[in-house]
Amino acid sequence: MTDSGGKPVLTLKDLSIEFPTPQGIVKAVKSLSLTVHLGRRVGFIGESGSGKTTTALGIMQMLAEPGRISGGRIDLGGTDVLGLSDEQMRLTRLSRIAYIPQGAMNSLNPVMRVENQLWDGVVAHEGKIDPDELKRRSGEALASVGLGAHVGRLYPHELSGGMKQRVCIALGMILGPELIIADEPTSALDVVTQRQVMLTLKDVQTRIGSGLILIGHDMGLMTQSVDELAVLKDGVLVEHGTVRQIIESPQHPYTQDLISSVPLVGGDSFLNPSTRAAAPERDSREPLLRFENVSKVYGEVTALHPVSFTLQGDTPQIISIVGQSGSGKSTMGSIMLGFNPPSTGRVLFEGHDLLRINAAETLKFRKNIQAVFQDPYACFNPFYRVRHALRYPFKRFGLARDEAHIQAKMEEACGAVGLDPDLVLPRYPHQLSGGQRQRLIVARALMLSPKLLIADEPVSMVDASLRATILSNIYDLKDKYGISILYITHDLATAYHVSDYVMVLFKGHVVEAGPPKQVIGDPQHPYTQLLINSIPWPDLHRSWGRDEAGWDPTAEEARAAEAPPKLRGNVPGFDLVVQ
Amino acid sequence: MRLPRKYLVNRLVTLFLTVWIAATLIWIIPRLSPVDPADIMLGRMAAGAGAVENADAILEQLKENFGLNDPLVVQYVKYLKNIVLFDFGLSTATFPTKVSSLIARALPWTLGLMLLSLVITFFIGNLLGALMVWSHSPRLVRVAIPAAMVFTSIPPILSGLLLMWVFAAKLRWFPLTGAYGLTVEPGWNWAFVQSVLHHGFLPALSIVIVTFGFWALGMRGLMITVQGEDYVKLAEAKGLRPRYILYKYMIRNAILPQITAFALKIGLLIAGQVLVERIFAYNGMGKLLYDAILDQDFPVIQGVSFVIILMTAVSVFLVDLVYPFIDPRIRHEGATS
Repeated sequence: MTDSGGKPVLTLKDLSIEFPTPQGIVKAVKSLSLTVHLGRRVGFIGESGSGKTTTALGIMQMLAEPGRISGGRIDLGGTDVLGLSDEQMRLTRLSRIAYIPQGAMNSLNPVMRVENQLWDGVVAHEGKIDPDELKRRSGEALASVGLGAHVGRLYPHELSGGMKQRVCIALGMILGPELIIADEPTSALDVVTQRQVMLTLKDVQTRIGSGLILIGHDMGLMTQSVDELAVLKDGVLVEHGTVRQIIESPQHPYTQDLISSVPLVGGDSFLNPSTRAAAPERDSREPLLRFENVSKVYGEVTALHPVSFTLQGDTPQIISIVGQSGSGKSTMGSIMLGFNPPSTGRVLFEGHDLLRINAAETLKFRKNIQAVFQDPYACFNPFYRVRHALRYPFKRFGLARDEAHIQAKMEEACGAVGLDPDLVLPRYPHQLSGGQRQRLIVARALMLSPKLLIADEPVSMVDASLRATILSNIYDLKDKYGISILYITHDLATAYHVSDYVMVLFKGHVVEAGPPKQVIGDPQHPYTQLLINSIPWPDLHRSWGRDEAGWDPTAEEARAAEAPPKLRGNVPGFDLVVQ
Repeated sequence: MRLPRKYLVNRLVTLFLTVWIAATLIWIIPRLSPVDPADIMLGRMAAGAGAVENADAILEQLKENFGLNDPLVVQYVKYLKNIVLFDFGLSTATFPTKVSSLIARALPWTLGLMLLSLVITFFIGNLLGALMVWSHSPRLVRVAIPAAMVFTSIPPILSGLLLMWVFAAKLRWFPLTGAYGLTVEPGWNWAFVQSVLHHGFLPALSIVIVTFGFWALGMRGLMITVQGEDYVKLAEAKGLRPRYILYKYMIRNAILPQITAFALKIGLLIAGQVLVERIFAYNGMGKLLYDAILDQDFPVIQGVSFVIILMTAVSVFLVDLVYPFIDPRIRHEGATS
């Protein structure tokens, strides 16, 4: 490394962290050595379990029991962190090292006003302070992250996810620390908000001149945000260098995998379509699913403005619905699944109104429309083995001929998603990884031979390297089994590769729709352009706006709200009508 | 800060409906029983006097006096009217004492004893439950509290008897039974208050010992959840003092469901500690209800049941009023829905 910034603020020397468990000692971090300089941004990248968060918590001396530091040194600007007493360490936190935690949604105390949560941090380090002085400092901190002073008087539930995370950044800088550790600060946010929060963080860090450790698993976000990258795998630092070195000539095969697993718009597809199966036989001539002027209103908020479309179901298609959180895309999904009655209009399944169908029709509807949801951890009943979770719906829908038939079907479905049935069927859900569980959800849907699969953010909670696998499993459902798919996502790059048709939703309106090569490859509507520009590209030549401190999407969003919807090309079997 | 009007009206209607439905049930259920209260009274008179002349005429007269000959609808409307005025009629066992005066005599004792012990238990139980989870608790505390839970499995009568035996019979620190000494004059004077506290100590202690585990275990579960929350992790990363985090971040959030449970307990505690009042010969609502059941004294049973329901409903209502002030998220809900 040539340009190393200011003097070292954090030096890790042979840092090792272990967790003694009844099954033996788990070494979470193995002999890690690294230096962070003042004014520099260092990214820790790796998959879950790679030890990146554990390292951060080790530096903070906040390891969860029974974790302990088993060797090495942590030097913070000349202070030996491991030699500090509990009280000295408490005083070091926030004033010298600030930590911005992962869960933006939940990291503020719900029963305390925002300003009180800024004040108690100051008071804990500086003792009693004049209230006016406190008020001035909290107002200043909020202003530095682009929030008005009135935000201080609010409670956390009155803030959006992006605002909460900016409050956490304000808290992190209020005592002017030497080092900020941000642990996946934008993992729960959509691309536009992510861009705004990251630019705020970079701006604040530059202003106070501290070092920054950014923890994450998204190569694109890292490329846009940091100066140096440290790649961790299984607790070992496998590669460390400037972003340019790592992006342009990654040395370690794991780093190469991480970079290549990021789906790019326009890049090579990670899918390899083999066959193009015909749609399953249907006993109805009516279109599979039809929205007639469907809208949804919650109180005074219109989540979905009237929209009409017809999905024939005779030509299997993958239709993507993309947009930010709050755009109405998940509302649309739950209306399709019949979980959420529309405020106006009708949803027709093979010509029958979902609100008026009888019990037998409902059963048929449920069998034919299956779903894959975002959280693979919450989708299984933890008390039953996987075998039960797979066979029960199959029997319930009356598809099983006998035990041998069920077994054969389960094995086939597991095989289709690349899992070994002998290995997964006898297990309980908690014994499987998130990726395995999500593939089992796909397998379970496949067993019922549905005609339509609704996949709501199926890969957003899964590690990047597994996303491609799960998406190709889902893609295979169309390719090999002829099942139509509605793919709901905020990830435009995957939508670009997977889908045949894309609808972009903005504040409940369809603003742009058409084949992905046109809509995502060459966006015409200002909102689609905003989304595409906010994607963090793992490409140094395609900047997100490095110098746009205080970037605020409000103006662009206002412009987008004015623009008329753009309807691009069509695909067979899907017709969209927008008022 | 003001409560949204819609929220207030909503809760008031719920309060009214609960009390009305419950009052109606209390009225219906005894009427399903084949026992005739007039028969019982007559039987009791016969037992006292040896024989009763003109038994049939007296029976008819009693039925007339109690209004048992009126059509059911008339009886029901009269009943509702009376209940609003807290008039539950006359006790059949201690005829002609008014039920309302029996209750008025017993209620302060129970409220005093039970409410006090409930409040003590609530504080001790929740604090101990929180300390079981808090990582900065002394090791001794973390071992001692689960051990103390053993008491929770002892039925209150047993613990009461045990306390009586040790502290009243053997050590003679506290009186054996009664709510106050026979030598003091009831009233607002120091000697009387002292006597009441002295007499109330053992029954209260026996209730506290056996019930604190309920709060401690509940709090422990809630604290474990709160401990894993991101805001507690961030509080530690902010370098806040551990004790401040315990009170303002952990207990402050974990206590919220416990407060709802507290409201529900207030109603139940009147009926719940019948046996404790019984063994300490403490003249409260529990004892009144116990005796009324033995004597098949329907008006008293009805009156006591109504008071229990009214107390539960009112305390739930009060908690609903207080809740928006302790949990800002509820205020939000009330304002938008």
